[in-house]
Parts: sequence; structure tokens; C-alpha cells
Amino acid sequence: MDEKTGAERRSYRLTRRQFLAASSAAAAIAACGPAGTPGPSGEVTASPGPALKIGQLLPFTKVYAELGNSMKRATDLYVKQKGGRLANRPVTLVYADEANDPVVGAQMTQKFIDSDRVDLMMGIVATPIAYAVRNAIDAAKLIFIETNAGGNALTRTTNNCTPSCKSKYIFRTSFSSYQISYPIGEYFATRKGVKEVFTFVADYGFGNESAADFTSGFTKGGGKITGSLKAPLGSADFLPYVTQIKAQQTKDIYSFFSGTDAINYIKAWTQLGMPAAGYKMNGAGFLTEQDVLKEVKEQANGATTSLFWAVTLDNAENKAFVDAYQKEYSLLPDVFAVQAWDGMQAVDLALQAVKGDTSNKDAFIAALEGVKFKSPRGDFEFDKETHNPIQDMYIREVKVQSGQAVNTIVDKVARVTDPGK
Amino acid sequence: MTPETAVVQALNGISFGALLFILAAGLSLIFGMMDVVNLAHGAFYMLGAYITLTVVQRTGQFWLALVLAPLLIGALGLVIEPLLLRRLRGRHLDQVLLTIGVSLVIADLIGLTFGREIRSIPFPAGLDHAITIMGGDYPVYRLFVIVFGVALAVLLAVVHRRTRVGALIRAGVDDAPMLAALGVDIDRLFALTFAVGAALAGLAGVIAAPVFGIYPGMDVDYLIYSLVVVVVGGLGTLSGAIAGASLVGPVDTFGKVLFPEFALALIFMIMALVLLLRPTGLLGRIRIAR
Amino acid sequence: MTRFVAPVAALVIAALLVTFPIWSSAWESSRYATTILQSMLVVAILALSLDLLVGSAGMPSLGHAAYFGAGAYAAAIAGQRLGSDDLLLGLGAAVLVSAVLALAIGAVAVRAAGIFFLMLTLAFAQMVFAIAFQAADITGGSNGFSGVRRPTLVGLDFNDGTALFHLVAVVFLLVLLLVWRIRSSTYGRALVGLRENERRMRALGYNATRLKLSAFVLAGAIAGVGGALQAYSIRFVSTNDVGVARSVEAFVSVLIGGASTLLGPAIGAAVVVFIERVLDSYVPYADTILGLVFIVFVLAARQGIVGLVRVAFTRVRA
Repeated sequence: MDEKTGAERRSYRLTRRQFLAASSAAAAIAACGPAGTPGPSGEVTASPGPALKIGQLLPFTKVYAELGNSMKRATDLYVKQKGGRLANRPVTLVYADEANDPVVGAQMTQKFIDSDRVDLMMGIVATPIAYAVRNAIDAAKLIFIETNAGGNALTRTTNNCTPSCKSKYIFRTSFSSYQISYPIGEYFATRKGVKEVFTFVADYGFGNESAADFTSGFTKGGGKITGSLKAPLGSADFLPYVTQIKAQQTKDIYSFFSGTDAINYIKAWTQLGMPAAGYKMNGAGFLTEQDVLKEVKEQANGATTSLFWAVTLDNAENKAFVDAYQKEYSLLPDVFAVQAWDGMQAVDLALQAVKGDTSNKDAFIAALEGVKFKSPRGDFEFDKETHNPIQDMYIREVKVQSGQAVNTIVDKVARVTDPGK
Repeated sequence: MTPETAVVQALNGISFGALLFILAAGLSLIFGMMDVVNLAHGAFYMLGAYITLTVVQRTGQFWLALVLAPLLIGALGLVIEPLLLRRLRGRHLDQVLLTIGVSLVIADLIGLTFGREIRSIPFPAGLDHAITIMGGDYPVYRLFVIVFGVALAVLLAVVHRRTRVGALIRAGVDDAPMLAALGVDIDRLFALTFAVGAALAGLAGVIAAPVFGIYPGMDVDYLIYSLVVVVVGGLGTLSGAIAGASLVGPVDTFGKVLFPEFALALIFMIMALVLLLRPTGLLGRIRIAR
Repeated sequence: MTRFVAPVAALVIAALLVTFPIWSSAWESSRYATTILQSMLVVAILALSLDLLVGSAGMPSLGHAAYFGAGAYAAAIAGQRLGSDDLLLGLGAAVLVSAVLALAIGAVAVRAAGIFFLMLTLAFAQMVFAIAFQAADITGGSNGFSGVRRPTLVGLDFNDGTALFHLVAVVFLLVLLLVWRIRSSTYGRALVGLRENERRMRALGYNATRLKLSAFVLAGAIAGVGGALQAYSIRFVSTNDVGVARSVEAFVSVLIGGASTLLGPAIGAAVVVFIERVLDSYVPYADTILGLVFIVFVLAARQGIVGLVRVAFTRVRA
């Protein structure tokens, strides 16, 4: 990130109140627009149907706040591009703060169901919150599009539904931890020719799932895990861990960290001269996603990760998406924005298929199951069995191009489907 | 663990301990003088980190932040003490509770002002390279942190033992009302103490920012670290803060890699153990019922 | 005649509270309002228990969520492991586990007083948090403990949301009654005596340490009941429930409402839940509001909302 965009970032930053006010106003103006105005596609639309209320449960405070902001930006942009209407129904977006607390998340879900009476619900960044509200959503027969939390169990058949399990009402446009971890494991063993890997992950549900899935993919492909280490969430000092990694012989390290932990890890990695000593950093894509990369920059050079998207991904939809997002917000989008964007796309297409009628839940679910579209990430469709996306996993390497550190696509594992069990 | 690794880990531990000392020094100072545990300490620390971020973004001058952040946060302390804490003079517990409110407000306003992104700043120029220790790279900044921590400890000790202000502080710790009776302006002394304590928290924010990162919620994380350090070492004395940091830093570092499954609980286990053996902490004054 | 007014009014208010979901059912958002009220009652139980320490005995625990969370986990795990939905079993497990935990921590913590006590309780609560986070096989760790079974009691089934609200409201009233009885008992007066002048209480022959420890265990056990009720309400327990934020919520509730006033902590809990869990989605500075409200009460109205109302009331009568 150069100086200029840095300045733009600052000037862009609205307070959350301005932000919320501006977007609901945009939706309201769109909703009040006169009938018969030309839609974005140019054709003249019929008089608007009943309002479509979408409850968005996102974090706007605490540690994941910026993820929530990013997802809100993408959502608002999508609605704006569609002139405030999906399938000719004026859209009202109701945002609530999940506050990184399952108790708050559960209450807000209840608010969406009982008070706002939303037509559908979207969002949720933290996996435990998604697990916490799963049963309430299922019982209320509320259609919910999960746009971030990647815990495997949310779209799987599990023993006793513990810690969670799939529901016919729940779809996911993000990923499962299996998808960002298993394929790269198998890829390393079978296609990259890596023989041995040492794993080092954040010691919480998600990090442990990622390590386990990577390990099973890698060993199934014939690779060997030579050792492992875990660090608690919010480990302030990563030097002890990286020192310990350096004291063992396996050069390829697989990691799951995100946010501040990823930044601290990558910095400690550089400080101890790991690249020069021949060590290679690998991981699930969040290790080097935009939020991390803009802070660590070239220090992440050479890191290989897998994710279903990269800002550099070369396809028409991604270019259009990145351009529109940048034009609107003077910011590069991140993967969280893509997940929210695709959530809106899926809803939009399914709505069109049922001609805007959400009263028949089964028909709407069938329509969602049937959507197929070109996403910024490439081809997108739901696995009808699990409602988790079927998507390509890109093997990405951080490279410094014209002074900027970016994730470049080096390969891909096509059509990755979560096993569902 | 090979001897080479052990040496590097020991360095890591000492460096972490030095950061913890810088973090805890201000908390200890305020308590020693005023009998108030400043629970806004983490928020002041966070503010120091965010001021550093802003200064580095605008000017690229880390060293400017090192001067500016403690000054600004010290000034804030100079406002908060007379405006809020002084009204509750003598009601130590209420003063502590007050700082919970101050902490909530400052941390939230930081989020509103600076945004809630996760951020990081690079090591300052001149300290951003590595030197060779035990045949491997080691970051110079971490060695600087050790030197800085030791220098700060020496400076505080000299002020404490050799200057008039230090004499006043020592007297104030022992018996503040007597000091007031002797004609010392206790209001000024307390305001100054609180300001210096807050400034030290801000200073810790500057020094730690390139290592620990900057994120929403960091105030609580590091408040707890600093509390553990002063509880382990013994509240309210400089030597207590040094002892606490010297124990917690290395033990946490070795514990993390030797027993990773206990990493999260480690510092609390150290604390529980020390308290069971010595309820006042390693070097605490016997004045726990206050 | 007038001496009947207060008890009758209390009974009427209690009845109105318990039947809230029924008489409010005509409202458009009745069920959501019920959810919020239920959440307020749960936090109120936590705050009432904390006030036994903070208000009565002058023991400022800043780690009270540890016992709340322990109760939540205990009720949830007991229900699942034993395959039983029995309410008494769940609440019994909650009381037992949180009381034992409070006994273990209290044994160390009550040796300290004032600020030391505050810091020790906070640090020990963090240790409990770390254990809950790490022991994923038992607690679900960071993923949380899901699928908590709703309880039954001799033919009463609390699976239904309204029935569960009745349960929470009744337990809240029972806790209120218990706290009231404690405060007016010799035991309660002894606790107040500790707060006012510990040395004198010792001179009078009281075993201050044992008295404090008993209060700590009692408060922990009641907090555990609150935790169990939250587990039943949300049907989920997370590490947040043993976290420092929950402890601060409880503490702020007690102080805003009025420490050492019977109803204060419950009123404070309602205010805190409103700011943190309702207002938070409408304004971006909910924490600032909460912090400022808290500062004002600590500075200017040490008796909290209840104290302010009392002052206003006496002025009107004078």
C-alpha cells in the first residue's frame, strides 16, 4: 500500500453511525423510487413488490469489527448496483452487531425473527456464534446465508449435531475449514512433491480443524507430518514459537493464523531470518489475506497459501467487482467482501427464479440450491447435499510486484466439495 | 532443546520480560503512591500504540512518537486525576472502579477515532535489521527492548532513591496524610504521579507496538498481563515490577514451547503458585488489607 | 391497612413480571421483548449474587463470571452426559460446581482485601477462562457447547419459550427473596459488619475469613444458578460466559443500580443489558455511554439508581 492510498483510507473512514445511516438511506431512497424507472439492466421494471427485509448479523465492535465493515460495504454496494431492488422487491437491510458474543448473537437472531420479521438472514463472522444460533434458525425455518464462519460442522452431518450440523435452511457462501486446508495438503504431497511438513496453528477450534484437515490431505497423498506446535489465540510474542520451529529440521511449515496473530507470526518469521535459513511458510489463505498483507507487506514474500479467491484473480467478474468496490470506497476489497457479495448474488438469483416470492420456503430453498453463477472467485454453486459451496481452491504465492506484495495465483485445485461428514 | 536454542529462547524470554516491565512500571508507580490500581492502564497503553501508529503514518518518525505519546497521555492523566480521581480521594476502591469507566470510554473512543482495523507498524529505522546470535539471525529491536527496559528501570530507581521527587514519593508511599501535614502539596504530587504512570503506559504502547501489534481489545489483554506481573512481583514497588517481569517473561517463553497445551493458562498458574507461597508477591510490602 | 400496601404491591409486580409473555403477547415484538427481559433477569441474578460480595461484605470481585460460566457449563454438561433433562439435576450440578470452584478460589482470594482481592479474583477468573478454552473435550472450547437440553420438572416442560421465561422469572424472584432474607439475617448483618469494620468484627469473636469465604461460596453458587438459566435460555455456552467482559457487566450493573440496595443490582442489570445488547446495534458508541454512565454513578451517586430514587422520594414527601 503506497502513501496515497493510505491517505485515502483515512479520509474514507466514516464513523459507524454515518456508515449505517448512509446505507439505510440509500436503501430507503431506492425503495421509494417511482415505479417504472429503468432498472440497472435498462429494461423498465414493473411496480415494486413488497419490501424484502434482510437481517445482517455482523461484527461492528471488538476484534472482528473490520471484517464486518468490509462485508457491509460489499452488501451495500450490491444493493446499490441493483438500484435498491432484488427481483423487483425493494430491499431493506437491517444490520445488527454480533459483538463477538454468542449471547448477543442469539438475541439479535431472535430480534430478526420476532421483531424485524426478516425474510432472510445473513452474516455471522465467528464460528461459535453460528453454532449458537443454528438450532434457533432451524426451528424458526428462517433461511440463513452464512457469509463467513467456516467451522466444518455447520454444513455437515454430525454425531448428535455436536457442535453443530447442517440444516436445510442454512446455506454458506464462504467456505469450510476443510476446503481451505485439505486440498492444499493433498496438493503439497501429490503435485508439489513436498515430503515433510511441520504444522503450527492457532490453538482454537478453527486452527485445530485446519491442522487436522491439512494433515489428513497431506498424509493421504503420501506426505509425513514431522511435528506440530500450537499457539493460543492472541499470543503476543511469536519469537519463542518461531525459534522452536527453527530448531527442527523440516523446512515446510503449515500454519493457520489470521488477523493480529498472523501479522505477529510473519514478523517474527522475518526477524529470525527464516527465509534465508531455507524455511517456507505455508498455510490456509487467511494467513496472507488482504488485512494481514497490507500490514506485513513484503515480509510475507514467498508464503504459499490456499484460498478460493485472490484480489489478483484474472476473470471478468473479479475485475468488475474489484473496480466497483474500489471506485465506491477507495479501498481494495478482501475475501470477506467477496463472501458477502456472493451471498447477495445467490439471494438475488434465487429470488429471480421464484419471481420474488419468498413465502414458499421450500421453493426458495430449491431455487438457492439451483443457483449457479460466475463469482469473483470463479464458478460458484452450492452443494445440494450440504449447502456449502463447490468452489476452486487457488494455490497462491505472495510475490512483490511493482513494489506491492500481492497473492499471485500459481495453481488451482478444481471444484472442491466439502465431504459433508 | 539444544543449548543454542535455549540461549535464544532465554533472550526471547528476557526481552519479553523487559516489555512486561515497561508495561507494568506505570501501574506499579500509581499504586505505590496512591493505593489505586489503575484499570485504565491498558487503555492508556492502547492509546500509546494508536498515537504511534498515527505519528508513524504521518511522519514516518517512530522516535517522535516515543516522545509525543507519553507527553500526550501524561497530559491526559494530568486532566483525569484532578477531574475524576481527586473527588474520591481516600476512597481507594471507588477510585479503582472509576478507572473501569475511564477504560471503557477511552478504548471505545479509540475505536471510533482510529477505526477498528488490525494494524502493525514496522520497526524503527536503524533497529530493523538482525544480527547473528548462536549462528542465526536475531532481531536488533528485541535487544533494544532489553536495553531500554534496563535503562528505564535504572532511571526510575535513580529518581526514586536520589531525587527530591523520589524522596516525596517514598514518603508518600509510607504515609501520604503525614506528608500533607508537613505542607507538601499532595494534590500536585498525586496528579503528577498519575500523569507519570499514564505516560509510562503510553511509553509501553510505543515500544510494544512494533512487536505486539495494534487491534481492538488489546487494552484488556495487556491490562491483564500487567496486573499479573505486579501481582507476582509485589504491588507498588519498583523492585516488585522488576521481579515480576523477570520471572513471568522467561517462564512464559519457555512454558509456551515446552507445554504448549497450557500456554493460555500459564501466566495465571505462575501467579497462583507465587501467591500460594507468598500472598504479597515476590517482593510485596505487607499491606494487603487496604 | 397501609402495612399491607407494600407486600401487595410487591406481589402484583412479581405476578406482572412472571406473566409478561402472556399480557404482552398482543405487542408486535412481544417475543423479542421477552427474550431481552429474560436476558436482563439472568444478568440480574448474576448482579444480585455479586452484590452479596460487593455491597454487603465489601468484597469487590472482578471475576464473578467464572462462577456464572461454571454453572452454565455444569448444567449443560450434566444434562448431556447424564442424558437427563431434570431441572433439579441441572441446577444442582450448577450450584455444586460453581460453589466448589468458588471455595477453591475463595480460599486463596479472601485472604486479601480491597484492591488485592479485586485483582486476585480477576486473575483467577482468567485462569478459569483459559481452562474452559483449553479443555475442548469437555467444554467444546472455542467452538462453544451447543445443543443444551431444556429442562423439565415433574411434568413441567420448559422447552417452550414462554414456560422457560416463567422459570427464569420465578428463579429470579426466589433469588431476590433469598438475598432479602440474607440481608436481614444475623449472617447478613455480620457481613455488613465486615465491610464497615473488620477488626471490630474479629474482636467480637467472628471468624472473618470463614465468614468471607462463606459469602464468596454463596455468591458463587447463586451466580452458577444464573449461568445455568442462561445456558437453558440460549441453549449454548461459550467461553464468553467465563470472560472478563461478563464480569465487568455484572460489576457495572451493581454499581449503576446501587450496591447494597436490594433491587439496585437488578435495575442496573436491566440498564447494562439495554445499553450493551440492544442500544449497541443502533449507536456505535455504546461502550462510551456505558462508561460515562458508570463514571457519573461512581462519582456522584454512590447509591446508584435506587439511591437517586430514594432521594427524590424523600424530597417529594418532605
